Formats: sequence, C-alpha cells, structure tokens
Amino acid sequence: MSETRNYDITILGAGPAGLTAGLYAGRGGLKAAIIEKMMPGGLVANTERIDNYPGFPEGISGYELAQKMEQQTRKFGAEIISAQAENIISEGKYQLVKLSDGSTVKSRALIVATGAFPKTLGVSGEKELLGKGVSYCAVCDGAFFKNQPVAVLGGGDSAVQEAIYLAGLVSKVTVIHRRNALRAADSIQKIAFANKKIAFAWSKDILSIEGSSRVSGVRVMDKQTLKEEVIPASGAFIYVGYQPNSELVKGIVNTDQQGYIITDDKMATSLQGIYACGDVRQKLVRQISGAVGDAATAAIAAQQYLELNA
Amino acid sequence: MGMLREEDQNHLRREFSGKLVNPVKIVFFTQKLECMYCQPTEEILTEIASLSDKLILEKHDLLEDKSLVDQYGIDKIPGIALIGDRDYGVRFFGVPSGFEFTSLIEDIIDVSRGTTGLTLDSREKLKKIAKPVKIQVFITPTCPYCPAAVRMAHQAAIESDMVTAHMVESAEFPHLVQKYGVMGVPKVIINETIQFEGAQPEPVFINHILKAAE
Repeated sequence: MSETRNYDITILGAGPAGLTAGLYAGRGGLKAAIIEKMMPGGLVANTERIDNYPGFPEGISGYELAQKMEQQTRKFGAEIISAQAENIISEGKYQLVKLSDGSTVKSRALIVATGAFPKTLGVSGEKELLGKGVSYCAVCDGAFFKNQPVAVLGGGDSAVQEAIYLAGLVSKVTVIHRRNALRAADSIQKIAFANKKIAFAWSKDILSIEGSSRVSGVRVMDKQTLKEEVIPASGAFIYVGYQPNSELVKGIVNTDQQGYIITDDKMATSLQGIYACGDVRQKLVRQISGAVGDAATAAIAAQQYLELNA
Repeated sequence: MGMLREEDQNHLRREFSGKLVNPVKIVFFTQKLECMYCQPTEEILTEIASLSDKLILEKHDLLEDKSLVDQYGIDKIPGIALIGDRDYGVRFFGVPSGFEFTSLIEDIIDVSRGTTGLTLDSREKLKKIAKPVKIQVFITPTCPYCPAAVRMAHQAAIESDMVTAHMVESAEFPHLVQKYGVMGVPKVIINETIQFEGAQPEPVFINHILKAAE
C-alpha cells in the first residue's frame, strides 16, 4: 500500500500525552491522526492503580483512565490509526510519517508523544529467560508465582509498588536495589517496610539472572564487601526505570544524552513544526498530570503555528 | 444479574445498536459439576445477550451435546464460540472477565460485521493462508497487554477461514500452563510450532501466523 493520507496534524503515540494532544487538536477543529502500534493508553494502561491523578479521589485503574481518555479523544474527532510509525521524513514544510503497512501520513505539524518504555538491565539471563520467570509486568504474571519466592529489581516507585502487589500472591519478595535507600515515595516505602513478606537486599549490583529452563535466582554482588551470592527466586520482576522512545526522531530534532527530546516552553523542538510532549521530553517529573499539561500546550502551540504559516 | 453497572449496560446497548449487523450466536459450553468458572461466565454472557436483540445465547453441556462439542472443537469449559453469519473460529476458554471483557465485546462486534480493523495488507495476507492454523493465546484477567494479543488472534480468525483462535485463561487450565511452560502472558502458541511472549505489533503477529501456515 503506497497510499498517502493528509492531515492537519499527526501525533505519534496514544498514551495520555498523545490522546490529550489529539483531544485538543480535534476540539480545535484540526484534522488529527494519532498513530499507535499497540493499544491506546500507553504505560498508564499497565498501571494497576493511580492515586495521584486529580479528579479521582478514590483512585482509578490505569486501564480505565486510559479508556476514558481514548473515548474523550475520539469524541472530538481525532482518528487513531493502529500502525507502527517506521520513518519520518521532513519535506519542506511537510512531515511525512511512513507506516508499517506501507502507507504515508502527511501533515504540516507533528507532535511526538511516544513516551518511554521500561529499561532492561542488560545482564545475562534477562533476555533468555523472558517469559520463563523474567517479567516486566507484575499484574500480568504475578499469578504464576503463587507461594513461590520472587525478586523485584529496582528501588523506585514502580519497583516498590509492584513488590507490595506481589507480596499478596507469593511466599516472599526480595527487593534488590543498588543503593542503600529506596527512591520510592515515603508513603509507599512505609507500606513496604511494614510488610513481613518483603525483604530488602541493599547495595547490590545485579550480575545475572540464573536458571536454565526457568529462573532460579538472581546473582548479585555486594558493593561494599564485593561478595557474590545468588538470591533464590522463581520470578525476577524488573523495574529499573525507563528510557525514551525517541529513535524515530533521532537526528531530526535535538535530544539530550539519554535520548530525551529537548523542547522550549511551547513544547517546540529544534525543528519548526515538530513538537514533543509527555515522557519522551526532557523534564524533571514524568507523571500523567504533567503529560496531559504538556500535550495541551503542544497542541495549541502547533495550531498557532499552522495558522501563522498557512 | 448485576455484574455490569447500569452505565456500562447503557454504553453497551448503544454500542451494539450502532455497530451490530448480523445476529451473533454466543454458544456457551458448560457442565453441571466441577466447573468453578462456568457460573460467572454464564452470568456475564446472559447479561451481554440481554443488551441486544441481535445476540442469542445458547447453552450446551460438554458431556451431553457431543455433536456440537465436536463441531465447534470444544475440549474444555467454560468454552464460548462466537458465531456470526458463519463460524469464524473465534473461541474463549475460561471466564472472559477483567481486561478480556473488552476483547469479548469487540469480538462480538467484529463477528457480527464479518470484518475487522486489521490493515488491508494484513487482511490480504491472511486470506491467502491455505493450511489450518490454530492460535492459542494464554492470558490472565489482570494483564493489560493481553487483550491486544487476543484481539489480534481473533481478528486473524475472522479474516481467514483457515485460522481458529482461542483465548485461554491461565488460572483455569493449569495442565495447559504446565504443558506450554507459561510463566508470562500474553503467551501465544501457533500450531504447536511457533511460540512467543508479549503483545506484538500487528505486522509481527501476522508474520508469525503466516510462518506457521507455510
């Protein structure tokens, strides 16, 4: 298929940022396309419970919030295209996005809202034992480890939250962290420390994930004593942070050393007509509330750009 | 009754009345004893079927209705076959709850319309398959990535007469979890020869199916 479709604005990614950008663009009367390779919702859909997004005093499941955002975006006319964006070509004042099905989406403004994805550790056993005990999704796979010991690798909000979730299912959770203190929010830490099923292995470098046909443990080295040991675990749940999904625009717009897209306060990137919002952007805090704020700015700034350069 | 909230019922009524084309038979296979999840499955299906005149719920016993069991290839319960103007090969084994409730609703709509939202490219490739393909997608109801895999498999079944696709709820069928060594979901098994973990983008998933059909 070599068909080309024309839009006023193309948005890459249908997480909270992309969906919000689509909502504002659609409501502003623009013909908007949102390109998403998976299900709309992004990382939010994979979050069991969200307690810090305003308007939901009882908290809301990530999946439900994502669905509501999608409905609201569709209501204002933005079209969600299920495809993988493979390539971006800047042609004069047009941005061409080549899709996995061979078709092209053409528009004068582009908003990059591709988010971030869970980082891998890059240790031996991680790839080989994926689906055999290595997991990046506790709510998906926790049930396979009932009454067995598991390890959670990481010390941030996600790691500790998922450790608490897993403790309800498994016999023991060992949180393995490279520092001697957690980075997670105080309120979450308190719950974890009070849970008798959760143990902590502090100041450990992770060397490998052990096991042949399935995970049997995590090999670590103590940073002070340099002593190696294998912490027994049937499952290894990895939550060591995120990395930006910015491969597509590398070389087109400026990014920082880690690959996060650099923008100004209007969410404009180094190339005219291209904006970025949400987790893919260089910033201090990556939260849903921040992503939707970014996205509103990006959509309105992009609309102004289109009007001024008509 | 009472599994669905009133606002959800109203939403589904509107969805069904706007989108259903052909009637859909929801063929439910159950058993009187020793089926923990048959009752909740029947309750969900009864509620869904009550939301549109185009939905017909049929209930059959795994042991007593042998000819239908064979016709639809049902080997475990609770089992559901969605039948539109013909049998597209869309099956659910285990209760379609949690995130999979959405898969069930979207599948009902696609089966009713006899068409899917897959790209033209994928649909053309799937139509050319000449050998039988059976896809099993293992899920847990709490897995947000799983509906994407279930839907992809079911859409492929709708687009190809050769493809049959099963959703399999892991907790209810431990012998299959054991057999295929499932420790992470979604896990997809195609014709016993190809298996992969995780939700995959459409072209990747379709290529796996084509490979199994070679």
